Amino acid sequence: MLAIENLNTYYGSSHVIQGIDLKADQGAVIGVFGRNGVGKSTLLKTIAGWIKPRAGAIVFNGVRIDGQTADRIARRGIGFVPEDRRIFPGLTVEENLTLGYLQVPRRSSAGNAAALRRIYERFPRLAERRNQNGTTLSGGEQQMLAMARVMIGEPRLLLIDEPSEGLAPMIVADLFAIIGEMKQRGCTILLVEQNVQQALTACDTFIAIERGRIIGTGDASDKDDCARLMHAISF
Amino acid sequence: MSTAIEYFQFVLAPQMLIGLVLGVAVILVALGLTIIFGLLDVINMSHGEFYALGAFIALALGSIGLPFWLLVILVPLLMLPVGYIVERGLIQRVFHSSERHVTTLLLTFGLGLVMEDAFRLVFGPNPLKPETPIAGAIDVFGVFLPLYRLFLIVGGAVIVALVALVVYRTRLGAMVRAAAFDRDMAASLGVPVQHVYAGAFAFGVALAGLAGVLLAPIYSVFPTMGRDFILMAFTVVIVGGMGSIAGVVVAGLLLTQVQAISSLYISPVWSDPIVFGIMVIMLMVRPQGLFGRLGHG
Repeated sequence: MLAIENLNTYYGSSHVIQGIDLKADQGAVIGVFGRNGVGKSTLLKTIAGWIKPRAGAIVFNGVRIDGQTADRIARRGIGFVPEDRRIFPGLTVEENLTLGYLQVPRRSSAGNAAALRRIYERFPRLAERRNQNGTTLSGGEQQMLAMARVMIGEPRLLLIDEPSEGLAPMIVADLFAIIGEMKQRGCTILLVEQNVQQALTACDTFIAIERGRIIGTGDASDKDDCARLMHAISF
Repeated sequence: MSTAIEYFQFVLAPQMLIGLVLGVAVILVALGLTIIFGLLDVINMSHGEFYALGAFIALALGSIGLPFWLLVILVPLLMLPVGYIVERGLIQRVFHSSERHVTTLLLTFGLGLVMEDAFRLVFGPNPLKPETPIAGAIDVFGVFLPLYRLFLIVGGAVIVALVALVVYRTRLGAMVRAAAFDRDMAASLGVPVQHVYAGAFAFGVALAGLAGVLLAPIYSVFPTMGRDFILMAFTVVIVGGMGSIAGVVVAGLLLTQVQAISSLYISPVWSDPIVFGIMVIMLMVRPQGLFGRLGHG
């Protein structure tokens, strides 16, 4: 489904991603762990098309997507929930959500309406606040909105960056339940998360990154692998 | 008491009415400018020349017999592809450079110079005045008001309302506001930001063209006509809040009234320094303007 080969990304002269290789099968949840500033978010941004890689290839469902614009990548079925949620100020909850329709280019109006209905059933708080400015929601609700507006596009690959940051444990549990539901639907997920213990419960496999390179991989259900991971990333 | 009423009727009100008509004219020109600035962060120095282009196209098409009311619809439609091509063909090429503000400013400035000279070559340097589409005048509480100027005030209000409706009440408008605030996030939701940018630029240019058609019967058509309005339009955009539609309306009406009344009570020579002085003070005290930027809540 997703194959990344020898990916190299720069910020100016700073070489952030240094030759990452990664493969992800359909329905797999892969944890991406590492200390701050090692390139985890940059990896997701490169896949999402926010940053153009200088070398390497990203192949999604048999098509090379590196070098494509972010909107084309989104329309190929890759959803991105960035670290700071990026809710649009001045747009209502519903406007934030319906922007997500554009991720599915050929869906009918009825299909869009049905997708919105499903989102409101799954997130009743958003339904209650549909006419409210998105940025006036609480942090947890904003995170749900950020997830929901990507889910409305029914992505096949979901990139999630630090979803639990600054949220109450109950909301974090709900978030991981949603990640589980997306997996059940066959969605592949790359999850960047500082809360490693919690994230490992949702992941099938993981990679550990240090200075832009993968320094370890493992099975999230294997205790020895997890112990090695915790040691490698030195939390 | 009667002296005060007469003073209002014969001195103040006509002056305020002149200010109001000028205000609507400036708002029409500044509307496109503020949308382009709010969304693309591009200071379009050729906006005045697009305003002139609209007027010249209307003049040319009017001379072959097309009625004015058809031109009001046709000219903005013709300007749309012009704006789209300019954005995709010129502005996009320098948009991603680190010196974007300078390069786009210089590029559009150069484009404006080329257009101005092209107008001079094709139409000559002298002012041309199209026929006023609505003849006659009415008496508004004793104040003489040409009917076309009344139409301009009402038509201007309708245009502003329609633009605000599109920007703030439609999904297309939501796309524009989202792309204005956060290009990357909007793109990751599937918003084709490059086309939205080009479309918004084209929309702004079409609005300038529409202003050209509507204002030509009052202010005449000549190669440098864009310069007359563009300084005031920039001032309105800066004072109102760069990219704010409400800001353009409020600042447009306010500053043209300041201009009209100060020329009455102080001197017409002082009206421009006062208005531009307000802009300078605004930049020092409240650089974001009266209202926020487009897409910034």
